[in-house]
Amino acid sequence: MPYPEQMVAPMRAELTTSGVQELRTPGEVDAFFRTDNDLSLLLVNSVCGCAAGSARPAVLLSMEHPSRPARFATVFAGQDLEATARARELMGDVPPSSPSVAVFRAGELVHFMPRHLIEGRGPEEIARDLTSAFDQLGRDGRPA
Amino acid sequence: MGTFHDTRDPLHGITVAAVSGDTVYIGRCHERTPESVVLVDVDEHSEGQDGRTNAEYLQRAARFGAWKRHDRLALETASLSRLAPLKDFYDTGNGAVEAAGLPPVPAPEVGAEAVDDAAAATEPVTLTSAAEAEVARLLEQEGKPDHGLRLGVAGGGCSGLVYNLEFTPRREGDLVLDRDGFSIFLDPKSVIYLRGVRLEFEQGLGGKGFRFNNPNASNTCGCGESFTV
Repeated sequence: MPYPEQMVAPMRAELTTSGVQELRTPGEVDAFFRTDNDLSLLLVNSVCGCAAGSARPAVLLSMEHPSRPARFATVFAGQDLEATARARELMGDVPPSSPSVAVFRAGELVHFMPRHLIEGRGPEEIARDLTSAFDQLGRDGRPA
Repeated sequence: MGTFHDTRDPLHGITVAAVSGDTVYIGRCHERTPESVVLVDVDEHSEGQDGRTNAEYLQRAARFGAWKRHDRLALETASLSRLAPLKDFYDTGNGAVEAAGLPPVPAPEVGAEAVDDAAAATEPVTLTSAAEAEVARLLEQEGKPDHGLRLGVAGGGCSGLVYNLEFTPRREGDLVLDRDGFSIFLDPKSVIYLRGVRLEFEQGLGGKGFRFNNPNASNTCGCGESFTV
């Protein structure tokens, strides 16, 4: 059951006001990935305070890293259901997980951080894992 | 960093792998007692299932997560040979499932008390007698006769929504519940999330305070401060 919009609006704004593009429809998801040949990061946002409450600032921290992906986007699990379903289709056989962070290259999943690698950890710790993955992806181009 | 709430079970809300016999369960730990471990959003895998060993299954799950087969499962604590955060298997890079013991089960809470069942059946929110007495005491201390107990919910917390508890005057549109000596004000938008909630007041070893008990929450923090419906 989606939560009332006024309750989730601050969780959306935390990302969108810092330059993360929110994808609200399947069409927006397709358009985001269709044009992309560089690294793109997708945060599957959620209302869970303990995990998403750290994931959001972690992604924002990772945006400051030199080898960051070219573009950052987000879908909101439990809220924008169709957009999230479309984004998950692009992740292949990876189980649904929210919050989670997926990094794509040319529309292909090359790195995935599921919820259990986020929960219980601070933003700096999560950001460190993300930026390590960015570095590895930038260095040898292989999935991290 | 502390996990969710320093005073609660460190495994609460954490995705764990539990090993029982030749079966591995993966799910978020909801509650642990000496008798059982309750997991939510659970997958299970038996040795050799789908052509994979448990170790192979765990290795993949540690990297990508697990599919949900059950909303909720209660496992007998005594049957478990291992219970650990799934993240641990990612860190070690292998899916070894040898018995490694179980973390100690947190001590049971103290101070829980019964509530009037008849009131619970007719009113969206109930208070234990200790909670009523404490609210009355605090309102009297506040010294503002037009104030009552306002209960509501807002976004945030470990499980999506958090409870609000404050003393305010009545607002237009409020649902009002009268108690002996004070009134409870419920924001109409919050009522759907508060239905069935019992407000308790505890005085235990961990300190005293109000606690929300929500029987309808599908996923509740151990502290009862936040919940998902």
